[in-house]
Amino acid sequence: MHDAFTNMALDEAAEEAIRTGDSLPTIRFYRWKPSAVSIGCFQGLKDEVDIERCSGVGADYVRRRTGGGAVYHDEMGEVTYSIIAQEDLFPKGIVESYRTICNYVITGLANLGIKAEFAPINDVVVGGRKISGSAQTRRESMLLQHGTVLYDLDIKTMFSLLKISKEKISDKAIESVEERVTKVRNYSDATLDGLYNSLIKGFTEGKDWSFGPWTKQEMERAEVLSESYRSREWNFSR
Amino acid sequence: MVVKGFAREKVKNGKLLYVKVDHDGTVINHIEILGDFFIYPEEGLGKIEKGLVNVPVKRDEMIKRIDRIVSSGRMELAGIDSGSIADTILKAVFG
Repeated sequence: MHDAFTNMALDEAAEEAIRTGDSLPTIRFYRWKPSAVSIGCFQGLKDEVDIERCSGVGADYVRRRTGGGAVYHDEMGEVTYSIIAQEDLFPKGIVESYRTICNYVITGLANLGIKAEFAPINDVVVGGRKISGSAQTRRESMLLQHGTVLYDLDIKTMFSLLKISKEKISDKAIESVEERVTKVRNYSDATLDGLYNSLIKGFTEGKDWSFGPWTKQEMERAEVLSESYRSREWNFSR
Repeated sequence: MVVKGFAREKVKNGKLLYVKVDHDGTVINHIEILGDFFIYPEEGLGKIEKGLVNVPVKRDEMIKRIDRIVSSGRMELAGIDSGSIADTILKAVFG
């Protein structure tokens, strides 16, 4: 587990190292400590996040390099994945490449007996309710996709950190979110570690792979990059 | 006189799109396009915003300009398109 800035920096450091041939294509699973909000690179931070509230509860906030929406990353409520590899290993089409990688999530959930399906552009749903969202970037022949799989959902905390008008924090709105979003715990008794292990199987099925630590090069580079992700200039750029 | 406009649209079968635009009623002076959409490469959004400055607030002209920038920059848009951007700008300017 890392803080939000290091998590984003590690993705970018791995991408750089894979591009130069210093590291192999990487699948990564991680969590966020402390809990954090990440926003898409095209979103306005102040539009999406209650910054004072984040500071008040000790939650980080960070702008991602990828598009997509604002996400509350609960330390105990989700598993985040990243897949970082050469772009030509995946379909050229945006939606098809999302479909390919989201199918790894779907296979992982199937290992827990959860029947999920891909919902274009970038979601995985169970019974029409979102259980996983993803965001992808492509840069200099590399593809990075990261996404979350919801294990549990603290809607009240999520609403308190994401900027949603007060009338939306009514019981009616919370019920509405629960109608649109779901979580592993609604379908399975699996622990968070159980979800993690199922996702590993889903992502690695049919692949030649091994566990590996971060390299010294990746860690050193991530330390530098994390300062950029921590910076006001980056996070408040929109 | 510069007027500030704002509009928010959920694109049909797409993503949320926010537009903050400074205009004089006829042309765009400054624009910020925000939302949970995707543009590849991501730097493309800045080019679209810059390219829309001084463009008349007319649907066809805005679409033509955006399409040209997207094409020349070999960009891909997901969850939004030139039409939805133009429509949201029109809503921000004219309500």
